[in-house]
Amino acid sequence: MNYPSLKSFVLRSKLCLLLLLGSVVQAQAEGLTAEKVRWHGFISQGLIQAPETNFVNLDDSISAELTDLGVNMSWALTDNLRLAGQVVYLDGGRRYTKGTRLDYLFLDWTLHSDFDWRLDMFVGRFKNQHWLYSATRDVPFTRNAIVLPQSVYFDSFRDIAVGSDGLAFKLTRNTSLGEVELNWSWGATNLSKEQSQILLSQLAQGDAEQEYVHQASLFWRPDQSAWQLGISLLDSDFTYEKAEQDYYSDGAMTVQRVMFNGRYAAEFWELSSEWVQERLDISDFYAPGFQRNSFSQGWYLQGRYNLLPKTWALLSVDLFDLDKDDRSGRKFSESTGGLVPAYFGYQDDLTLGITYDFKDNLRLTMEHHWVKGTARLAYPVMPDLQHNKSEYWQMWAMQLMYWF
Amino acid sequence: MKIKFVTACVVLWTGYASATEVVTHPAVPMDQLTVTQLRGIYSMRQQNWPDGTAVRVFVLPAKNPIHQTFAKEKLQMFPYQLDRIWQKITYSGLGAAPVVLTSEQQMREMVANTEGAIGYIENSDELSKLKVIRVTQ
Repeated sequence: MNYPSLKSFVLRSKLCLLLLLGSVVQAQAEGLTAEKVRWHGFISQGLIQAPETNFVNLDDSISAELTDLGVNMSWALTDNLRLAGQVVYLDGGRRYTKGTRLDYLFLDWTLHSDFDWRLDMFVGRFKNQHWLYSATRDVPFTRNAIVLPQSVYFDSFRDIAVGSDGLAFKLTRNTSLGEVELNWSWGATNLSKEQSQILLSQLAQGDAEQEYVHQASLFWRPDQSAWQLGISLLDSDFTYEKAEQDYYSDGAMTVQRVMFNGRYAAEFWELSSEWVQERLDISDFYAPGFQRNSFSQGWYLQGRYNLLPKTWALLSVDLFDLDKDDRSGRKFSESTGGLVPAYFGYQDDLTLGITYDFKDNLRLTMEHHWVKGTARLAYPVMPDLQHNKSEYWQMWAMQLMYWF
Repeated sequence: MKIKFVTACVVLWTGYASATEVVTHPAVPMDQLTVTQLRGIYSMRQQNWPDGTAVRVFVLPAKNPIHQTFAKEKLQMFPYQLDRIWQKITYSGLGAAPVVLTSEQQMREMVANTEGAIGYIENSDELSKLKVIRVTQ
């Protein structure tokens, strides 16, 4: 079993203190005096095990590296100007960068608001509002599952997909066909060396940089309907500048995504689904003159059922193919002379889970994953043959979460 | 005969369906709202009344039967959908969730005494200091 290091223990303690302080401030500020400044937070701890993979750790043990903590503030400066910020501490083992970070800090300027439409502009570091769970993927009680479907929410991409520093707009409009929400954003994420190595493996010694990420999405909630439907587009460019001693060369990558999503809500059950096609264009990088353009595809369908008043069951199917024209991974394996097994070309996941609410803000979630393939395990550009040894593998996780 | 039976069922059903009333502070300059407008308010997107007064949104706890009836019958949503909207705006910085009150009595007092307030109560003749809002399609 992996225990947190002293440094991470101190960090967690500090954040717990902040959370406690937030709770006290919240409790002290009664009634409407608290409306100008609002504090909220969450704290969660879990256990996870994913043997025979590099998903969480390398020694196959049960890990306590499943921690999400956060505290946020929203401050209404004027009637149409607001400042919002959140600090989080995350520990997902090897899934993404561990530590405390500024999750978001932005100014929200409401440019127009009436009963028919509203337009907001956001400046600063904001969350990705374009996918079903992207804005709150680190907030455990807002997710259906502890580990989100990796076809869409690939943990190795978490740090670059979770938000951006830049400019965004949100428009909501009531039409005769229902409510329409349009989001647009432009920005970039600064990649630390650790974040680069989660993407590119520890062989990468140079500097990876996201030049920009440009996204747009449209959500439609028809009147008198239990449906919500959406589409989103993403375009992003990266560059890599090699170090003096480096496995990789200078290079450039383009990532483009087309996504569709849908959600159906009934009183005692709910379905949600997202489909993604991702284009990855790599120039040089592996070697000067190297060129590859490929299209991956994936989708998931999650169903939740309200078994008992405080209990929801989850059934999730998540499918991903690294190359839509090579779903078996055979050509991919052949292109490496058989060195990389074909199961690195896909990853299909069946998940069963259960959630129990002890209170309105205290929840326990448990889930088990049966997985075939390793295409959504690190590293996206360099298959980890040493640690991802099996085509079939399993994972379980449990997490206790509290929020205020 | 058949038509009378259906009519009776509709009357009974609509009688049951209006078990909650949407109420506002008496100075709120509206007498009726569409379901879409009410959803906009309870999704925390609608910030101001037409006269510019800030909208103050009050709710009862998710498990409260009045809240559940209000969500289903007036908003035509399920309480878990509202929870998700409020959690998303609270934890991604998009806004603030409604103020959660502990009882219907507190709801009556807060709505009656807060400028721009909107809330809901069980159907009742006791409506002094509150304005009842008609909700239309």
